[in-house]
Amino acid sequence: MTEKADTVPLRQQYQPQSYWKQILKRPEAGALGGAILVFVFFWLMAPPFRQFSAFTTVLYQASTIGIPAVAVALLMIGGEFDLSAGVAVTASSLAASMFTTQLFGNLWVGAFCALIFALAIGALNGWLLIRTKLHSFLVTLGTFLMLQGLNIAITKLVTGNVATRDISGMPGFDSLQTIFASNIMVGHAQISIAIVYWLLFVALATWVLLRTKVGNWIFAVGGQGESARAVGVPVKQVKIGLFMLVGFSCWFLSMHLLFSYNTVQSGAGIGNELLYIAASVVGGCLMTGGYGSAVGSALGAFIFGMTTEGVIYADWDPDWFQFFVGAMLLLATVVNTWIRARAMKGK
Amino acid sequence: MARSETPIIQLKGVGKNYGNVNALRGVNLTVRQGEVTCILGDNGAGKSTLISIIAGLFAHDEGEYLVDEKARRFSSPREALNLGIAAVYQTLALVPLLPVWRNFFLGSEIVRGWGPFRQLDTRKMWDATQDELQRMGINLEDLEQPVGTLSGGQRQVVAIARAIHFGARVLILDEPTAALGVAQSGLVLRYVAQAARDQGIGVIFITHNPHHAFLVGDHFIVLSRGEVELDAPRADLTLDNLMFHMAGGTGLSTLEHELHSAPPAATVA
Amino acid sequence: MFNAKKITALALTASTIACSAALLSSAAHAQDKQLTIAMITHAQAGDTFWDIIRKGANMAAKKDNIKLIYLSDPTADKEAQLIDNVVQQHVDGIALTLAFPDAMAKAVKAAHAANIPIVGFNAGGDDWKKADLLGYVGQDENIAGAAVGEKLNGEGAKSVLCVDQQQGAVQLEERCNGIKKTFKGKYQILYTTGYDMPTVKSRVQAKLQQDTGIDYVVTLGAPFAPTVLDAIGAVGSKAKLGTFDLTPEAVKLIQGGKLQWAIDQQPFVEGYMAVDLLWLNKVNGDVVGGGGPVLTGPAFVNKSNVDEVAKFAKAGTR
Repeated sequence: MTEKADTVPLRQQYQPQSYWKQILKRPEAGALGGAILVFVFFWLMAPPFRQFSAFTTVLYQASTIGIPAVAVALLMIGGEFDLSAGVAVTASSLAASMFTTQLFGNLWVGAFCALIFALAIGALNGWLLIRTKLHSFLVTLGTFLMLQGLNIAITKLVTGNVATRDISGMPGFDSLQTIFASNIMVGHAQISIAIVYWLLFVALATWVLLRTKVGNWIFAVGGQGESARAVGVPVKQVKIGLFMLVGFSCWFLSMHLLFSYNTVQSGAGIGNELLYIAASVVGGCLMTGGYGSAVGSALGAFIFGMTTEGVIYADWDPDWFQFFVGAMLLLATVVNTWIRARAMKGK
Repeated sequence: MARSETPIIQLKGVGKNYGNVNALRGVNLTVRQGEVTCILGDNGAGKSTLISIIAGLFAHDEGEYLVDEKARRFSSPREALNLGIAAVYQTLALVPLLPVWRNFFLGSEIVRGWGPFRQLDTRKMWDATQDELQRMGINLEDLEQPVGTLSGGQRQVVAIARAIHFGARVLILDEPTAALGVAQSGLVLRYVAQAARDQGIGVIFITHNPHHAFLVGDHFIVLSRGEVELDAPRADLTLDNLMFHMAGGTGLSTLEHELHSAPPAATVA
Repeated sequence: MFNAKKITALALTASTIACSAALLSSAAHAQDKQLTIAMITHAQAGDTFWDIIRKGANMAAKKDNIKLIYLSDPTADKEAQLIDNVVQQHVDGIALTLAFPDAMAKAVKAAHAANIPIVGFNAGGDDWKKADLLGYVGQDENIAGAAVGEKLNGEGAKSVLCVDQQQGAVQLEERCNGIKKTFKGKYQILYTTGYDMPTVKSRVQAKLQQDTGIDYVVTLGAPFAPTVLDAIGAVGSKAKLGTFDLTPEAVKLIQGGKLQWAIDQQPFVEGYMAVDLLWLNKVNGDVVGGGGPVLTGPAFVNKSNVDEVAKFAKAGTR
């Protein structure tokens, strides 16, 4: 045996490929191409887009999609959907607001209760998925509609109105606003702290996915659950954990919204779950699971932010707004797929 | 390599009942280091019941199951695995989209660091995968490539190499060549023989293809309707003989006689 | 002052009708048959403004011993379906927002065929006669928009941005058209998508960065006013802000001088009157309005009269 080892060709170096090739093979390569394309496009078309303050506006819009989208991307890599994420954001802000105004009188306690609540929604989603063995699309569609109803019904029951009371000035508001919703001024540009958190979450999620045991498990669970189970990966725990992670991200965004805008309309948030999923898919996540990246979801959110704001910077006819947004997203996605296809072929 | 002749696994008169149905009766089987035992039989002959008992999916009802000369009754595959008895099923327990080295260590990742900063030791895992695959004699172009892009035979080999790396002394291979073409089957059979010969692994090779079995087997057991139809070492057997037993033994030969046609060996060999 | 006068006038009409209703209610009780009236709106669920309308409707229903069915859907075909639905339930009257006149025409005809009286409110000021409704309660959105345009002229605005939260809704378009008609400076519109506040904020920010000449912003719904104020602050714009409709937050902003004015259409009255008009028609055969709409607005709320409004706003009825 030892003689044999000497005769075999030299061992391959760890990560033997060129940097460029590696980047091209990453799931987010296509989204990166799409993002560059959209950026250059608006840079040329819309002079106001070139200011730094415009860039931070775009980033802000992107961050409010991107924060839940990171978690949704991980969930999708784990092979599941969550349609309840959009209204879960509203539900969490409502919970924080109502726990505070009706029960505890302190926003720190309210925020903590809302966190527990958001994690519980996630756990419930995961638990239902595992118990019923239904597709997550159906399970979370159910929780989505239920939450939507609860948001309105409970708000009305508790406050008598459909929007919560203004929470500014309640105990704990200032400190929590500093944490979740402060702004940093750089020159004339306002940078929301949400952007900072977003980038932080993306970095953290990327590390978890690529460099930890749990990350390996997430890929495996989404790629082929049966195989993962066979080699001892705790599939159920991973899935429930992922749903709870989405719950956490919803809570986090909800805190930002609550402390930025002080009141919550109980009907808000509907439809955003599709944006989170779209950002993940544009960013390279497979709808079938097992493949994708956190950076990709961020690029997806960034493309969306650039497009919606870019149309305004370019001062195109507002009646055509949605059309332009749709067309730009489609263009970005086509470029994305094209790059990915080329990367796969040129391995 | 020095080999002990004491068997790793020994089955004595093992049987299994499902209610009134007698799925398996009186099976004797011995697996030694470096030896390939082939288990053949038609669908429903009791092959999967037998390997399920050996792999620890459920326990036997009759007879004795000895591992290292100690009687055992397994209630989970984990117990069997801890004693070095590993099964590689047709599904292979690989994740197609995951890179080779990640698949190799899936569920048994090597980590370094402490507390929340514990992270994968990618270099160690990469190197170990490389070493193990090279020991099996395959040199993949790129360990970063998804397992799904490998050929069917290569995938089998990766799964086998993984089981060996994690301490298998006895490998149960469930129809590894069933879904493969001729060339790919050859690849797998070579590694099966190699694993047994070079690394002293005891192999239990389940198949319904007597040609494949005869290429690598040291000992042959043919099951039929839950009973042992044939139990013979290679020395006592020819391929024709094996095929004769596979094809239904005396029962079929009677039919053959009645039909006055040429013996099957003549047409197939 | 013109505004104050208008408000008192409106209050008077409202109270006379309310009084007459109170008198007649004894007669209704004598009948001892509870009327069922359906209220159908294009509200997004969970919107403060619509909740106030509903509170008004509930109050009228309670007083008139009416069983009120409240249904809503923000899309055209669904709202039309809701009409079909209540017609099949044989309700005694329908109060509806004629937000999508064409899409709803067929369903309205079906209701006519079933002899169910219909009163329009809040949306459809241009179309209710054509649809042959019994009456209409609301603010004439064109008049309201025109009033805003004049107000902007009066304040010396040069370039106004109109923030529309629901592209394609007819009453919002009417408001915009009204402003466009009377406002002399540069007029632009920006669409946002419902209550997604970060989107509202960043789109308004983008628009203000794109066109730095904008010196006045008008939101078509009051819940957006605080967010737009944020956006104005974030880009360091000097633009002033006015809004359609009223919320408790808007009242506070007016008191603090950050919001110049809010144009109030008194949604509570809209809901209340719509139900009450149907009741009057059923019980006494009355038709109110003299062939024209029963106007509930526009009435400007600004720093001079905001304190009066504040206490009702706090109770959630203004």
